[in-house]
Amino acid sequence: MTSRDSWNAVRARRWLRKCAAVGEGLRLDGRPTVEYYGGRIRIGSRLHLASRPVASHLAVGPGALLDIGNDVSIGCGAAIAAFQHVQIGDGTRVGPFVIIMDTSFHGSPGDQSLQHNCRPVMIGVGCLIGTRVTITRGATIGDGAEILAGSVVSSAIPPGVCAAGARARIIGRAGDPASRWDSAAAVLPNMLMASLGLDSPPDLDSGPIPPHLWTNAGIGAVLGAVHNRFGVELDPAAVREIRSFADIAAAIQRVLWEH
Amino acid sequence: MDVGPCNLRPARAGGLQAVRGRWLTFRQSVSRWGTRLKGGPSWLRSSLGARLWLSACNQVGANTRTFWRPNIENRGRIIIGANVRLNSHWAPIELVSGPDGVIDIGDRVYINYGSIISAQLRVRIGSNVMIGNYCIVADTEIPGIGDPPGKPSIAPRQIEIGDGAWLAARVTVLPGSRIGAGAVIAAGSIVAGDIAPGDLAGGIPARTLRAR
Repeated sequence: MTSRDSWNAVRARRWLRKCAAVGEGLRLDGRPTVEYYGGRIRIGSRLHLASRPVASHLAVGPGALLDIGNDVSIGCGAAIAAFQHVQIGDGTRVGPFVIIMDTSFHGSPGDQSLQHNCRPVMIGVGCLIGTRVTITRGATIGDGAEILAGSVVSSAIPPGVCAAGARARIIGRAGDPASRWDSAAAVLPNMLMASLGLDSPPDLDSGPIPPHLWTNAGIGAVLGAVHNRFGVELDPAAVREIRSFADIAAAIQRVLWEH
Repeated sequence: MDVGPCNLRPARAGGLQAVRGRWLTFRQSVSRWGTRLKGGPSWLRSSLGARLWLSACNQVGANTRTFWRPNIENRGRIIIGANVRLNSHWAPIELVSGPDGVIDIGDRVYINYGSIISAQLRVRIGSNVMIGNYCIVADTEIPGIGDPPGKPSIAPRQIEIGDGAWLAARVTVLPGSRIGAGAVIAAGSIVAGDIAPGDLAGGIPARTLRAR
């Protein structure tokens, strides 16, 4: 341990001195803003909290508990506000510019009139929370779940799934190469526009495919494009079942998961 | 998809003028010095600042300037072209390269404040690219923080941004993305996958809003 490391450790302890408990191996990059309005912050071992280039920000309201487990890493610009209870499980990794709040709004010190409708936020063990995710009050994220970048989580996410979207929905299993933003559902509209010769990328939720597009030639073009992009062949029985654009994405996803 | 040509810096054979990518006429050269003299201390400070604050980079082209101090964490390789401007005025820019990471920034790139560029594998930014404030360009899922020990990490995938692309404010570029030459990404978008050259794209994830 160099003298610089030990100096950083001393500074980190000082910055978080009002926390109820701080484990060993704390690592802070830059100084976070920590605001205590009368609550407690419990931090486990080996927390890595980045505050560069943008400062991260922890706030605990009166009587609230912010509980951060062991081996948690949190990116820069994160805003975590607990006015009742926020729990982040062991080994969870949180990306930059994430907002986690168990209240609809939190005011400045002295103006506590705006906290209402607090509901605890529970984040499980070993989760992966992507860049710029917003986690609103009452959200529960199961162990090992993965939330893709830019999503908004406001409900319960079961363990081990991958969820994405504004109001996050389950799109696959966590850690699966197919459950990414550039997976079938994300890539398909542009692919359909190219292979079916449409003017604009179709909306996947737009209902049944118009019959004049879904001819043998159209099906062939789409299947060719699917093969080029994802390297999979769709089962002819599955192709006959397809009624809407969303069905195509689901069929591709099903084949990808079987691989 | 081809993201278009990446004009890497020409060889340093022909002196200072050639490093900037083309020869200048006498008149252009005079007018360029005129603007510098008009800029005065600010030009001097930003040029000297680049010398000082970009000293951790492996290669920095001529006339590259920094406004206030960026954070550079270079464990791999960072190459910055000529006439690049890095604005760190309200929040610093962060350039991070891991042990095997390469950040390759072309000529005449403008990067605005608060942006994070992180490479564990390779991030290539072409010439004439504009990157807005608070953008994140990272080839790992969660930039800036390492994997906890004993956990399998998701492999980084390289990012390419073609010449003349424009990323508006708060754009996130996810691993494995390729943005074509001259593409425009709308503010707040999250880019995953390929954006064709010249397209206007936006949304989460970014889709083509207007084709070239």
